[in-house]
Amino acid sequence: MAALGFIVALLLVALLAPAIAGTKPVVCRYKGRLYAPCLAYFDRRLEPAIFATDRFRGTYPRNLKEKDPESWAIWPLIFQDPYRSVRNDEWPGRPENPAQDEGRPSWQNPFGTDQAGVDVLAKMVHGTTVALLVGFVSMGIAGTIGVIVGALGGYFGGWVDMLTSRITEIVMCIPTLVLMLAIISLLEKPTIWHTMAIIGATGWTGIARLTRGEFLRLKGSEFVMAARAAGAGPVRIMLRHILPNALAPVLVPITFGIASAILTESSLSFLGFGPPPPTASWGSILNDARSNHSMWWLVVFPGTAIFLTVLAYNLIGEGLQESTDPRLREARK
Amino acid sequence: MPLLAIHNLVTAFHTPAGRVPAVDGVSLAIDRGRTLGLVGESGCGKSVTAMSILRLVAAPGTIESGTILLDQPGGAVDLVSLPEPALRKVRGGRIGMIFQEPMTSLNPVFTIGDQIAEAVRLHRDVTREAARARALEMLKLVRLADPGQRLDEYPHQLSGGMRQRVMIAMALACEPDLVIADEPTTALDVTIQAQILELLSDLRRRLGTAILLITHDLGVVAETCDDVAVMYAGRIVEQAPATELFAHPLHPYTIGLLAARPAAGGRQPGPLATIPGMVPPPQHFPEGCRFHPRCGYARLPECAAGPPALRELRPGHFVRCDFAADLGPPHAVATGLGAA
Repeated sequence: MAALGFIVALLLVALLAPAIAGTKPVVCRYKGRLYAPCLAYFDRRLEPAIFATDRFRGTYPRNLKEKDPESWAIWPLIFQDPYRSVRNDEWPGRPENPAQDEGRPSWQNPFGTDQAGVDVLAKMVHGTTVALLVGFVSMGIAGTIGVIVGALGGYFGGWVDMLTSRITEIVMCIPTLVLMLAIISLLEKPTIWHTMAIIGATGWTGIARLTRGEFLRLKGSEFVMAARAAGAGPVRIMLRHILPNALAPVLVPITFGIASAILTESSLSFLGFGPPPPTASWGSILNDARSNHSMWWLVVFPGTAIFLTVLAYNLIGEGLQESTDPRLREARK
Repeated sequence: MPLLAIHNLVTAFHTPAGRVPAVDGVSLAIDRGRTLGLVGESGCGKSVTAMSILRLVAAPGTIESGTILLDQPGGAVDLVSLPEPALRKVRGGRIGMIFQEPMTSLNPVFTIGDQIAEAVRLHRDVTREAARARALEMLKLVRLADPGQRLDEYPHQLSGGMRQRVMIAMALACEPDLVIADEPTTALDVTIQAQILELLSDLRRRLGTAILLITHDLGVVAETCDDVAVMYAGRIVEQAPATELFAHPLHPYTIGLLAARPAAGGRQPGPLATIPGMVPPPQHFPEGCRFHPRCGYARLPECAAGPPALRELRPGHFVRCDFAADLGPPHAVATGLGAA
């Protein structure tokens, strides 16, 4: 349960990242109209154009007050930017972010700053988005492919099953990390979406095997026979009757897969093959730590975060496993 | 024209051990509004016959030959050769089926109302509300207590007898002409059994549905069936109207089955009679008459020679035995199939 709570908290952090840490106002009123510049953290194009024409150059606090005394703004909880260091007096009264060894955790920078002076907490908050996105999207892709392939093989049997089983086995032999390194080195501009697509495209095999087993087992159930006797066709039986019954055990590898996807992405970022800067991700903070051994805060905080997240997903997966295992289910009745 | 006419049906399983003819030349006819009971021991092929009607026999079983003619408005169709999409319309639409195990015949993740409504919507183009209303109507028809509440309950919340009523409701939802009931009461206790049987008879009277009742229980047959067919080792050995069969059993197997019943009400005069030996496995059917190794009236070598044909010995009463007309006294049986 605690694990579930932790993941929910992370989800909230990921969704509200620009409101938690950023240098752009969450909501502001400028020259009579309401804007939400913080959305620019999700997509660059969402930055309201007026701030570009009025030459804000990303510095909001002073400019807002100077260019429109009537303006007001709601600021993020932590005034720090994940992509750049905060300049001197950008926030009235606050000195610029320290860099390098000076950047140890302090009141101004609770998790410290990296060698360029970028606040680590802000990076981690925004990195949460990346971490969770990687987990959900890649497992979404893997789950979809896996369930479809497994269902087709398990239900139809015969040559369809042979074909899908051989394809599953072939894909199982592909080493994900190596494939990813190869593709990333070939691409000009590797993005996080490429990483997620590859993890998804290679990670579906366990799910396919499980789904196939469940479909094989459920295909012979009495209620499937009853549905056929009532006149249902194969598609209807597969989707409506067998699938809901087959999904329970499949949730377990999907949950473990999310944890594994996060670890894979962190590993890649750590090695330097992750999404290019300035995208913040926990693994990339660890990458910075490699060249700056004395800055322990660059290791501890993202490392702990990765550890806790993967642990949480694993705990959820184990919990699901216990609750869906038919043998244990019998004992609990 | 009978509603359903099965003619010389042969359903065999092609296993690695060889060809196993579970149904070996079965011919049956069911008229509209009548109940036919198909009786036999476990393993005689009665369930496979029932499944073959709707082509639900699991692989490696296939229907090898024979015809199953269903009389529909617009002419009779042969269910054996009917294309799959048309067959799906027959399944549930014109012929309903009730299975033996009510505990597992319902999908555990859907409510009762959903499942009955689905049976309706597979064959009728109605809205979801109309289907749900029809489901409620069917639950009332099968006399399920608290039908409104049951609609939204899940199968695990109902008892075995209630689930079987739901199965009956599903089978009857589209008003089929024929309902195949495959041992519908075997998995239920006796009091519930009586209720379900009474329900089936009542429904038959009210809706005019024909019923093919598959059972191994002669008591059930006597209660509910108009006609009876006795099956042994893949073949029909005797067929007659129910009252006629119970009054004048002619085939030695039927005689043995009736003699094996415990005496009703009162003391049992001596040990229970049995039929010595066991039902032969389909891989090793005896030559000639398949019952002769266990038959107390068998005359060798005639009975082991050629398979006897089904002959009408009394009006409407068919027997597959060459010597049924005058059996003579029974003799001790030396079974070639090992002791009972």
